Amino acid sequence: MKNLTNNKMQLLSNLTFSCLLTLGVAAGAVADESSKPIKVGLSVPMSGAAALWGQGADWMCKKASEEIRDSGGVVVDGTTYNYECITYDNKYNAAEGAKVARALLQREGVEFIGGSLGTAPVRALQSLSERMGVLIFTTAWGDQIKGPDYPLTFTQMNTPHEILEPLISYVSEAHPEAESVAILNPNDATGQQTEAVSTKAWGKVGLEVVSSDFYERGTTEYQPIALRLARHDPDVIDLGATPPAEAGAIFKELDVIGWDGVKLVEVGTGADGLTAIGGDSVEGVYMGAAVAFNGPSVTDHQKRVNEEAREDLGESLNTVQIGFYDSLFALKAAMEKSQSIEPKKVAEALPSVTFQSFYGNTARFGGEETYGSPQQMMLPVIVTRIEQGELVELGRINPTE
Amino acid sequence: MELVFQLLITTLQISAVYILFSLGLTLIFGVMQIVNFAHGHYFAISALVVVYLMPWLVEAGFPASAAYILSGLIGIAAAVLVGLATYQFGFRHFQRDMVGSFILSVGFVLLFDGLFLESFGGASRSVPSIVEGTVSVFGAAITGQRLLLCFAAILTAFALYLVLMKSKLGSALRAVSIDQEAAMLQGVPYNKIAFSGFLLAAGLAGIAGALIAPVSIVTPAIGADYIVKGFIAVIIGGLGSIPGAVIGALFVAFVEAFGGYYYGASTATLAIFFLVIAFLLFKPKGLFGNG
Repeated sequence: MKNLTNNKMQLLSNLTFSCLLTLGVAAGAVADESSKPIKVGLSVPMSGAAALWGQGADWMCKKASEEIRDSGGVVVDGTTYNYECITYDNKYNAAEGAKVARALLQREGVEFIGGSLGTAPVRALQSLSERMGVLIFTTAWGDQIKGPDYPLTFTQMNTPHEILEPLISYVSEAHPEAESVAILNPNDATGQQTEAVSTKAWGKVGLEVVSSDFYERGTTEYQPIALRLARHDPDVIDLGATPPAEAGAIFKELDVIGWDGVKLVEVGTGADGLTAIGGDSVEGVYMGAAVAFNGPSVTDHQKRVNEEAREDLGESLNTVQIGFYDSLFALKAAMEKSQSIEPKKVAEALPSVTFQSFYGNTARFGGEETYGSPQQMMLPVIVTRIEQGELVELGRINPTE
Repeated sequence: MELVFQLLITTLQISAVYILFSLGLTLIFGVMQIVNFAHGHYFAISALVVVYLMPWLVEAGFPASAAYILSGLIGIAAAVLVGLATYQFGFRHFQRDMVGSFILSVGFVLLFDGLFLESFGGASRSVPSIVEGTVSVFGAAITGQRLLLCFAAILTAFALYLVLMKSKLGSALRAVSIDQEAAMLQGVPYNKIAFSGFLLAAGLAGIAGALIAPVSIVTPAIGADYIVKGFIAVIIGGLGSIPGAVIGALFVAFVEAFGGYYYGASTATLAIFFLVIAFLLFKPKGLFGNG
């Protein structure tokens, strides 16, 4: 009798468990149906000297995906999707970039790259992505990175082509007495691309380029560099694509040897590293890729997100990192317009969509005249300057296209 | 002439850091016959502690110089602790094993890269100079802070020289670097000496890190930036040689300063690497080395 009771209890228990399990699976299936994930890969440096850019990029991707989810997700053909950011460390070099490309595209099965940082690793990524039909966003600046031969590659921040002419024109108008400029760039694809564009731009405004040099990233001592820059006593020193902290170190050494003139970090992305290292010597530095979060045109959303980022990352956001936010909103707009999550269809829709950029404006894609096809995110060029230790926005030059 | 003096002053400034850095590297090799790529992280942890702790101490009411000295001492202690940990849990099992210690040190590099980044973040930091102002030497400019760094490098190298030449520890260190077996037969406790030598080297890296913090860009990657130049200085000077480390550092700094000015920074960097290749091919023991 006792055995019968035990058996019944066992049977009841098993049945209950099975029902619960079935319900759970069904609930999961229903949940899957109501919101499906779209994996968005990131190939960024998460270690080494550029780690902060990578960490910020990852942070902004997750921020954007959270905001998109909270506003109802991406709705395509009646199905709601949400983005899931998957970040791999490309260590800012081609070899790791190739490994990351294989990991993201082949192992993770990612069909959208929300952002990729570093021209060398991006080129490694592109060699796979275009063949496999994966849509990629990139902050890489090379001319050859996009165009009709690379229909699935889009740039998510301003490049030297968009920044330099307006910025250099602004600076030369502000300093009409300047006649000569010395240029310095890091010795890599980014620096070489920036140098090529800046040399022409300075020539266009009538300044003589008295020297144009390159240095290796990871340089530890900047006195010889500063001595060489100052040897012709130029009116302007343009540090091109030099990262903010290194630019601060160079301006500090220039100050020691007594050089004083117009200072420019064309694609300087932030004041924090510049002022932390350069101190008083960076007073008056102009930048073309930094964002000031203390001006009257800054929105509450920008301030709030920047404050959160500062708490987590230790520095304000910069244009490199903001690109990883904008790319997700661009993707959303293109997916909803094309009503497809197929990368090629989304890529075809991208040039025709507008989306709300982090900068507060409605952004779109252009650049057909420069690149041969509209694959460049058209964003305002924000001219900033360090004044009394703070980054101040002097003006915004909106894209003319 | 003023330009030449400026370049010579620049050479001395640059070499000061390389000397401090490479002294520890060459000491580890001399005593234990191992190559330690994690040496850069002893340097880095000290610099990171200074840039994080000093502003906090100043805010707490300490005068800047006291805050710097205190944070520097804590930074050096941190470097020694990290050195102790890597020795106890790693290098003591790979003494006189170049390949094994190389692989182990690369592993430590990867571990510390991640740990430091997680702990300190990736933002660049610096601290204000303790000695303000610029001094003119025969028309050549040098900041007070850099001058202090040069004096510190000379003092530290001299102090190390005295320890090695005049103390019992120093005699033992030299003995094991010349011939470990013979030294042990003479009663030199090798394990204890290797341990002391390793900690001394980590301490030297800590001193270098604390001194470089006010004049450099401090990030978790700072050690990686200096380790290459440090090794080049040691290879040129000769692994295991203290005078060699000094001469090697001066040589690297000379090429960087003069080459960087006349031919550009990238060319100077290339030249340094060509020179070290030439040394490895034609004088692999370096100028004064026994490795």
